Amino acid sequence: MLRTRVMPCLLLQHSKLVKTVEFTNPAYIGDPINAVRIYNEKEVDELIFLDITATRERSPPQLKTIFEIAAECFMPFTYGGGVRSLDYMAKILKIGVEKVAINSYAVEDSIFIEKAADQFGSQAIVVSIDAKKGPREYEVVTCDGTKPAGIDPVSHAKRMEELGAGEVLLTSIDRDGTMEGYDLDLIRMVSEAVSVPVVACGGAGSVEDMAKAVASGASAVAAGSLVVYQGKNKGVLINFPSEEELRTHNLIPREQ
Amino acid sequence: MIVIVDVGIGNLGSILNMLRKTRVEACISSKVSEIEKADKLILPGDGSFDVGMRNLATSGLLEILRRKTADEKVPILGICLGMQMFGRSSKEGELPGLGWIDAYCAKFRFDSMSQLRVPHMGWNTLAILNDSPLFRNMGDKPRFYFVHSYHLVCADPADITAVTNHGYDFVSSVRKGNIYGTQFHPEKSHRFGMTLLKNFAEFA
Amino acid sequence: MKVCSRCIYDERTPGITFDENGVCNYCHMHDDMEREYPTGDAGWRKLERIAAQIKRSDKGKKYDCVIGVSGGCDSSFLLHIAKAKLGLRPLAVHFDNTWNSKTAVENIYTMLKKLDIDLWTYVMDNDEWNDLARSMLRASIPEIDALSDIALATTLYMAAEKFKTKYFLIAHSFRTEGITPLNWIYTDGKYIDSIQKQFGTRKIEKFPNLWLSRWMKWLLMDIKRLRPLYYVDYRKEQTKQFLNKEYGWHWYGGHHLENRYCAFNHYLLNTKFGVDLRYVEFSALVRSGQMTREQALEEIRKPQVYPSELITEVKKRLNLSDEEYDAIIKLPCKSFKDYKTYRQTFKRLRPFFWLMYKMQRVPKSFYEKYCT
Repeated sequence: MLRTRVMPCLLLQHSKLVKTVEFTNPAYIGDPINAVRIYNEKEVDELIFLDITATRERSPPQLKTIFEIAAECFMPFTYGGGVRSLDYMAKILKIGVEKVAINSYAVEDSIFIEKAADQFGSQAIVVSIDAKKGPREYEVVTCDGTKPAGIDPVSHAKRMEELGAGEVLLTSIDRDGTMEGYDLDLIRMVSEAVSVPVVACGGAGSVEDMAKAVASGASAVAAGSLVVYQGKNKGVLINFPSEEELRTHNLIPREQ
Repeated sequence: MIVIVDVGIGNLGSILNMLRKTRVEACISSKVSEIEKADKLILPGDGSFDVGMRNLATSGLLEILRRKTADEKVPILGICLGMQMFGRSSKEGELPGLGWIDAYCAKFRFDSMSQLRVPHMGWNTLAILNDSPLFRNMGDKPRFYFVHSYHLVCADPADITAVTNHGYDFVSSVRKGNIYGTQFHPEKSHRFGMTLLKNFAEFA
Repeated sequence: MKVCSRCIYDERTPGITFDENGVCNYCHMHDDMEREYPTGDAGWRKLERIAAQIKRSDKGKKYDCVIGVSGGCDSSFLLHIAKAKLGLRPLAVHFDNTWNSKTAVENIYTMLKKLDIDLWTYVMDNDEWNDLARSMLRASIPEIDALSDIALATTLYMAAEKFKTKYFLIAHSFRTEGITPLNWIYTDGKYIDSIQKQFGTRKIEKFPNLWLSRWMKWLLMDIKRLRPLYYVDYRKEQTKQFLNKEYGWHWYGGHHLENRYCAFNHYLLNTKFGVDLRYVEFSALVRSGQMTREQALEEIRKPQVYPSELITEVKKRLNLSDEEYDAIIKLPCKSFKDYKTYRQTFKRLRPFFWLMYKMQRVPKSFYEKYCT
């Protein structure tokens, strides 16, 4: 039986690790390579790295940094940020990255997802969906939380699955950096609509929050602030829930 | 020297990194002259079946690979799509496989009430059915990383060395003589994968 | 070769002298400190008085003191003493040079969680740190990790100022760590600055350097630096076991291996400069009865062990090719005497620093080493 994947979701701003709150005010966290080293030694299940400036600055993925991160990872690694061509996808996958997350470009040119899935296989394609609660319903926002896309996350996720996406990374912009719990309604409605795995992100404050996200339908959970901060003061400290904590909240099945 | 065969479909860098970390001599190659000298081979693969088989066909390496495995009986480890390509065919594509193992690939199927998702993605455990040198010294509760939508269906149970459960038991590792395969990715499975690759280097 | 009859310092130790019994001056310094800082009941009573003073001065504030933490044994034990035994309300302060090991961060995490202590971290800019580190290497000096020592001191002052506390507690114990001769390790802000000006490719901006002007401001703010472990009969081996049992703390397998840049400094000191800092530690343990002289002499003969990937990692992170690294290692050895430092200024300000030492704003060891 699969264990629930629990993974750090880390943000890159040029060559530095940062953390945002509601997608704003990036705070410096440290060196990405050293962080990956530590998570690797801690044997975390998987790692997600999102470059938050690539789309905004229209810059291509930083292959050198991605290569350095991949070289330290003996677990699966998903990279996202500024991916807009099959050529770049091929380069990134060749470096040692398992999956590539596409966010803004999946909205701008959804057929790209189909082409990428044909060439690289669905298991390599993650569609990253950032959602915000509007006055009446949830809406997808692209370009690092700055550009409303005019679509809702459920229909977007369904369409992406049809085109061949193997996974959905679903982030609540409202909950990002708050450590107040995931947006369980958002997770529920998207998980019910698709049959590919959904990774919940945005708001994790405890392992209990993670268990609630799984109960709402998430196949996997990602955490940002929780794994880079310690305590009420938000002192920077790389950390990760222990096996014992994960087991207590049934995120690891008994036989594992 | 272990040669990691490059036909443009696998996570070569990660495998090389892990072998180097375990101090095993290895290199990545797509050259006949280098594969010729290999003591052992690894064929990693990610992506779709037909793309894999097409790349292999156009690589110019089919002949040397057949010679090394069938004639010289050099141990070869197929990883993920690499292992699937050792079979006869796949429901994912049109092209035939290598036919080194009597098996075909089928997609995971669950009834509509099932909560289980495809691809099978994440950390799972193995039930070892037949002894294989790959699984020595694994320690307590080894787990490995899987990411795939298709799995092998073997005609001969003797070829199956391990199964894994995702709704039902499916083939997660095979061995037929010098042909080894894992559906999971040892290069992404921390110390368990490291032990497996080391075992392949030392005992296969 | 003449070796002290009591500890294991020998004639190669800078500044060493021997008395008529063959006992070195560092042993006498240790004995002076033993008299000044009693342990046992007397030591504990002194600590309780200090704790009462700290609590009185910081009533109503969120924290009454700041404690520098690294994940190491000493600072972890200090957290236990301060919170669990003395009932203080410390803020843990960490300077992250971005080279922390997994064990270090896990140790900090578990100590702070179990003791319910808040954390404030100053994370160093990775690119600026790497540039500074390359400069330190090119300067060919032994104490390349003076960077972390200075940065931690500045970070503690910054935290004390920010959170309005008057005390910062340092986890140093002369009984286990000893007294390092000046010529082996020299640290000051101007030293770092002059090296960076000569070898660096960028100005110091994010690095928390302890400029004299800045330090003066803090000294005049009456921030006291205390070393509570001086009053505790601190036994290293027993403490490691205690911390493991009580808090889930783990030993990182080698002295200073909790931070790989610090470990590299030790490696360089040993291989390039012929300085084996284990002499300092073992001599201290011999003087405080935690090791016999024979055990120390036997241990010091064993070669120091470093993780095999340490040099590879250093080259990779500092972006040095094999050739560049080898060329740096082969540079002739230099010291603080070859660069501009605050040394002369500290000596001229001796009366001022004597007063600061008496007011507990600078440690005695600083006064003795840098101002005399």
